[in-house]
Order: sequence, then structure tokens, then C-alpha cells
Amino acid sequence: MESKDLVNLGLLDLAVAYGLVLLAIGLARLKKIGQERQMLWASLRMVFQLFAVGYLLHFLFAVKSPLPVLVILLIMGAFSLQVMGARIKRKMPRFYQVVGTSLLVGCGGVTFLFCTLVVHYSPWYDPRYLIPLAGMIIGNSMNGASLAAERLAAEMRERRDEMETALCLGASSRQASAPALRNAFRAAIMPTANTMAAMGIVSLPGMMTGQILSGTEPMVAVRYQIAIMCAITGAVAITAYLIIMQGYRHYFSKAHQLEVQ
Amino acid sequence: MDRSEIANTVAVRLDRVSVLRRNAEGGQVQLLDEVSFSARSGEITAVIGPSGGGKSTLIRLLNRLADPDSGSVSLDGSDIRGIDPLQLRRLVALVPQKAFMFEGTVLDNLQKAFEYRNEVPPEADSEDVRQALSLARLDRKMLPREARSLSGGEQQRVALARALLTRPRVLLLDEPTSALDRRTADALAATLKEITRSQKLTVIVVTHDLRLTGRIADYCFYLEAGRILEEGRGTDMLARPETGELKRFLAEPLDREE
Repeated sequence: MESKDLVNLGLLDLAVAYGLVLLAIGLARLKKIGQERQMLWASLRMVFQLFAVGYLLHFLFAVKSPLPVLVILLIMGAFSLQVMGARIKRKMPRFYQVVGTSLLVGCGGVTFLFCTLVVHYSPWYDPRYLIPLAGMIIGNSMNGASLAAERLAAEMRERRDEMETALCLGASSRQASAPALRNAFRAAIMPTANTMAAMGIVSLPGMMTGQILSGTEPMVAVRYQIAIMCAITGAVAITAYLIIMQGYRHYFSKAHQLEVQ
Repeated sequence: MDRSEIANTVAVRLDRVSVLRRNAEGGQVQLLDEVSFSARSGEITAVIGPSGGGKSTLIRLLNRLADPDSGSVSLDGSDIRGIDPLQLRRLVALVPQKAFMFEGTVLDNLQKAFEYRNEVPPEADSEDVRQALSLARLDRKMLPREARSLSGGEQQRVALARALLTRPRVLLLDEPTSALDRRTADALAATLKEITRSQKLTVIVVTHDLRLTGRIADYCFYLEAGRILEEGRGTDMLARPETGELKRFLAEPLDREE
């Protein structure tokens, strides 16, 4: 992809753009809305973090071996797990084990298939492709995973009477928890399904917009976007499925008894 | 009676069973303390006592909704841990105090157990359904109604019919009359007595309801604070309590409500 019409941004251009943030802060101060301190802090963090990641990627893209790239991907995954763990208050039993392995298998598997079968590039670990693609897949799976984990824990809490009644009638733990598992899966998959349905009409996806801005032919950018959406859907569904199917077992004993929480 | 005869008539037995539960402070609470208990087939065994005394804990052990921390539970002389829990729950049906109704009609609810077992459920006009409804004192017109729209008492009877339809050998009832008016409760007591005899059922009723106990019990246990304090054939225990605990329980009518 040649970027012949690519307009580069100089530091001066960035300074002008940052003027818009200062304008917003000034307005907030003038109208006594408050929040100016937070806005200033957030905007500075954004500038610093993005420059830092830009430098990191700059050096990483020069890497000629798979190990550092895989380490970066693992750190991304571990970070997303930690973010989820901090946000979810009532965790299911063995939360980190269940969600961690599910993310690893779901995202790792889909990313691998996607990079080898769909986007043909070599070497397979080329960080210019692998890192942004895996990042999008992990980021979206993280949302699906946290919805699945949170919903599963809530359903298991709310449906105790229902599940015990089912067990009394001879249901296995799988049968007794079937409605809870269905709801948890639906909750996990819904946002991705909504995003797909609205795509192109309500929102122009960020990746596609970015590619177009950097000179990629729109039809090529569209194909990339379709492919990545498919990969995201697959990763979200597999991760959520693994979380739910591993997670519910920890609520029951081997003798199909609901464990005391 | 020789030993083999006893083995045939004693269907359910608890032998020195204890159940512990960790409380919030990290300590342990003894829900059942070395309880020994037995119930015969063709009889109704009542377990009475105040709330929180361990009655519900006791019957939950019999269909393995929970396992004891020590002691053994046996059915017809064999330890129930040796029976597949899903098979065991076909033989031993438990009707909880708060009957849960699944989404759908009364008929859907009655057929639920068969769905779990991958069996063909009995139809609305089958003899089995007709019989289960009449035993639980329910009208056939109820079948197409939304189960969750029924009154508490009606739901409780649907739960009983739902359990009876699976033809269990042991029937465990947790406060079966708590949501029923006096007339319905009395009628239910009568049918319960009748089917226990005719179908050689082993029925264990856990209740505060002394009126019900007086009408149906062939054998009584008094359970308080996790221990059996009195037991005896028939309902003599209610007329001539020996321990101070049972006297107090019998004298406190407020505690019988729930």
C-alpha cells in the first residue's frame, strides 16, 4: 500500500490541535463548569502514552524474531485480565484461571488462524501486522469476556432456587444451569452483534477510517474491516463460550450439588 | 422381627450424621450434630422443631443436594454415596418449601422432570397426570394456566404433583402446608396418608405445623439446634412431651407460623 497522498503531521500541527483542548479547558473555566484539571491531566496522559507506545512500536517493528512480539502479546493479555479483575466486583470462583485460559485459547487461536489463513504476510510474527490485529481481537474479547463472567456470576446467584428445583427433579448440573448459561452467552455476544449490524451506517469503524486517512483505497480498507470484524466475532464467541462452560462447573460438585458460595 | 425384615421396612437411615458450616467469622456452626434417624416405607415420618434447627438440612442429605461432613446416609441398607446422584433423585423426590415454578404452563412444569431424563412426558389427558393432579388436590383446568400466575398455595400443590408424577419411592416434603389454608391442608393430609399406604411410599415431612403432624405422623422426631431431642411412635410425643425444649416448642404457637 503506497501512501502517496499521505499528509504528515508536524509538531506545530499537533500544537494547533492541542489548542482545541486548551480552548475546551478555557471554556470550562470561564463558565465555571469545573473538570478543567481532569481534562488537562487526561489530555497530557493521552499525549504521553501515545508517544510512548509510538516509540515502542517503532522499535518493535524493527524486531526480527518472534519471542519479543509474543511477550508483548502476553503482556497485553495479562493487562486486559487485570483490568477485568479490578472492574468486576463479585467474581465467579477461580476467576483468573477460567478467564485467563479462555482468553488465551480464544484470542490466541483466532489470531493465529486469522494471521495464517486470512491475512497472508510473512514472517508470521511480523509485528506490523500481528500486534495491531491481536490488539483489536484482545480488546474486543476482553469486553465480551467480562460481560460473560459478570453475567454468569449474577445468573448463578439469582437462579439458585430454580437450579435446586431442577436438580431435585433429576436434572444434571448442566441441565439445571442451562438458562443461566444461555443468558450469559447472549449478554457476551450482544454488543458485538449490535456493532456489526450498525457498522457503516451508524459508525465508521476506527481502523477503516485510519486506513483511508493514511491513503488506503476505501475498498481495500472495507475488506480489511470485514475480515477483522469476523475475527473479532469469532474470538468473542469462543472466549465467552469457554468462560461459561468452564465457569459453571465451579458452582457444582461432581455429585450435581450446588456448592455453598 | 428378624434382621432382614427390619432391613426391608427401614427405607431411609441416617447414622450419626453431622453437618458443619463455616460462618462469616471463620468459625464453624454445627447444623446437625451426630443425628441418627430412620424412616420406614408405608409410613409418614414427621420431623418437627423450630426454624433453624436443622430440619431442612436433614432432608437435603437424603437426595444428596448436600453431603454430611461425617456419618452415613443409607437407602434400603446401601450407602447413598454409592448410587449415581441423578438416579438417586429419581427414587427420592424432594419438594422444597418455596416451590419454584419454571416458565410456562402448569403442564410444562409437570413434564419438566421427564424432559431432564430424556423420557417421553405423560400427556395432559393421561391417567398419570390425572392421578397426580387429584392427589395434589388440583383441578385439571389448571393445566394450561401460566404456572407463575398461580397463588402460593396452588404453586405448592403443583410442585407436589410434579414430584408425584415421577413415581418416587421416597417423598421428602419441606413445610408442605405453609402456603395452604386449613381446609386444603387437611385434605392434603388425608390424601398423603392414603398414598403412603397404597403405594408403600416412604414419606418424610419436615414441618412446624403441629396440626398436620397430629393428623398424619406415624413416627415423630423433635429436632432442635441440630440434635434429636425426642422421638417416638405415633404422636404421643405431642401430648406428653418429656424435654423442656419440646414443651416450650409446643407452647409457642407463634413459632409454628412461617
